[in-house]
Amino acid sequence: MTSNEIKLSDFIDRLNAERKPDEDEHTTDSPELKELYRTVKRVRTLREPALPESDFSQRLVQRLKAAEQHTRRQKVWPWLAGLAGVAMVFLFIGNLFFSNHRNMVYAMEQAFQEVQAYHGVMEVVETNAAGESLSQAKVEVWAAQDGSYYTKGLEGAGAGVVTVNNGEQKWQVLPDVKEVHTYPEFPDSYRFAFELGQEIDEAKKALSVEEVGEEPVAGREAVVLKIVPDGGEAYHLWVDKETKLPLQKESALQKGLQYRITYTSMEFDEAIPAELVAFRVPEGYMEVSESPEQTIRHWHEAEHLLGFAPAGFETAPAGYSLDRIAVVTDEGLVKVYYSNKEERFVFTQGKAKDAFTPAPTAILGKLDGHTAAIQAPMGETVGILSGGTPYGGAGFHSLVWQEDGFAYAVQGGKSQESLIAFTEQLTDGTFEVMDSGGWAPEVEVPVDWEKEKNDQKSVDSGSSPWRLDPAFVAQVFASLKLSPEGISGEYPIKEDELKVVQNDGVAAVVEITNEESPVERVYLQKLVRQDETGIWTVVGYDER
Amino acid sequence: MADDYDVQKDETPPASIEEICSATWEPVYRFIYYRVQNREEAEDITQEAYVKAMDYLRKNKVKPEKYIGFLKTVALNILRDLWRKKKRRGQRVDVEALNPKDLALDDPAQASTERMILEQALDSLNHDQRHVIELRILQGYSVADTAKVLEKKETTVRVIQYRALKNLSRILQSIEEGTIHDIQ
Repeated sequence: MTSNEIKLSDFIDRLNAERKPDEDEHTTDSPELKELYRTVKRVRTLREPALPESDFSQRLVQRLKAAEQHTRRQKVWPWLAGLAGVAMVFLFIGNLFFSNHRNMVYAMEQAFQEVQAYHGVMEVVETNAAGESLSQAKVEVWAAQDGSYYTKGLEGAGAGVVTVNNGEQKWQVLPDVKEVHTYPEFPDSYRFAFELGQEIDEAKKALSVEEVGEEPVAGREAVVLKIVPDGGEAYHLWVDKETKLPLQKESALQKGLQYRITYTSMEFDEAIPAELVAFRVPEGYMEVSESPEQTIRHWHEAEHLLGFAPAGFETAPAGYSLDRIAVVTDEGLVKVYYSNKEERFVFTQGKAKDAFTPAPTAILGKLDGHTAAIQAPMGETVGILSGGTPYGGAGFHSLVWQEDGFAYAVQGGKSQESLIAFTEQLTDGTFEVMDSGGWAPEVEVPVDWEKEKNDQKSVDSGSSPWRLDPAFVAQVFASLKLSPEGISGEYPIKEDELKVVQNDGVAAVVEITNEESPVERVYLQKLVRQDETGIWTVVGYDER
Repeated sequence: MADDYDVQKDETPPASIEEICSATWEPVYRFIYYRVQNREEAEDITQEAYVKAMDYLRKNKVKPEKYIGFLKTVALNILRDLWRKKKRRGQRVDVEALNPKDLALDDPAQASTERMILEQALDSLNHDQRHVIELRILQGYSVADTAKVLEKKETTVRVIQYRALKNLSRILQSIEEGTIHDIQ
């Protein structure tokens, strides 16, 4: 019996079990199996579909409500109002405030440094293009300077849900299903986004901060700032005139919707009450662990559990402390967590399972002669990053490389620069972005700026995400050169016939290894916006 | 995509999530199941489609009669993205499957024609081949149970099944090309 006969039978068995097949017509390399899989599916359409369990509609509603809550967390930013306890500090820095961009941000930064912990109620209001406003949620927030937090939904879809990260563990109490889900404390990919420190950091990184007026918010006098971030649409921030801290934020109108988040009450304390950040599973609730990690006490345990001796980075870089060591035995990974007052990092290592293949969107460089790739922020979790706890998005940065049969990754930091600095300190190495010298296409491709700007807007609103991937843009371009009449069926240039040989985050070169391609190299640039949200545009190519 | 769907002009309050889900999930689920042919994927993709679509449905007051069409369109986009992700993971993807023709079949007349074509194709198989396809695919028997019913070895069942599907594929192609002839 041939392997195709066995694969075909396995495929039928999986469908009969109503399970997703391991391989299907979209992924098989065999043209014969592709046709046979399709035929099986066609014949199966004569059957009545297997319907879900009777509670499916309820599960659907629960999933939607959870997603709604998560979306709000992603969209909402921190503001602070009613600051009484730290008024002395604000008087001290008051004269600095509102004189210019730098001083405004500096004043907020100084004010926040005096806040040990705050407790407030935040309201999220959504307004549509017709000007109709709707209160989406009210959330009680406790947050501390050390990064720990407690949030509880008061009204709206997430009402009753409690989320806590006490710096040692993260958990979420879900009263609907009577479960407590536990997660590693870092990286906290769904971290609550209302942190004052994060808000001030964003203002520090902004392209411009401009005072555009005054308007009271929640009964407090406030100055309105227009902030143009380095990437993305401008937004407005209301800053309390007395406390010099953010009070309200309003996003730009996107897809006909605008969000305004206001702290309607606020008080200050020395710390979050201990009982709120002490882990406890309420009676009648079930604990569900979402962490594949196992904390160990010493390197020797990692060697015993994983079968290899981890590279010795026992000593934390100067200025950082080593918080904990953990292993993910299924993936053969060891992770070391470091932190200082400002930032946290996790260093991961394991045996290299494949050749080094950076994410197509990664910036390429060399770490002590070894090819390394930076994603800022992280997008695709390829290679060593695909193991263990998933970390998508949330502003995390990653630097990965391979050396002597091992794969390494450092994740964390507030910026790409701080990630590089930490990694250099940790490894006693030097990172250099790959030299982009000699960047000169033989044939230049004219650019339609209006079209590119419109395409950027389209991508900003969630369409055509492939424009953020230089390899994909090059694939489409080279495929159309090979088949100028249009592409029907598979792209004539295959995924494995593309190699990103240069990418400094703004300019990239992709080599086409397909001998039939009239294009040998595709040159791309981020023309409209030069950050991770900018689209790639083909500006030239070399003929084969 | 969203612009293709009418927006309510009246002051009717938007439907709740529970109301929308309860009224629409089954046709949307069936639409997806038709394309993936297994409950696990169909449930996942249905949920994802609702997550992506719900905010727009509620905030933009899409007319209720347009909900299902909108959700199906979102589901198709998810399927496309899914195949592209498979490709991104280094697997080949059959972009031909992105062809709307291959994804359509939502029209009752077209579905009925498809059914007739399939039944005609099954009738063209020899007795053993048809029997194996009926048991294995239409009735969901395991290879072992099929072998017991037919009093054949499991290996033989797999070989018959493979040949039957090869034949079916050719027969279906012939029917669609209008060149049906005896293929056994």
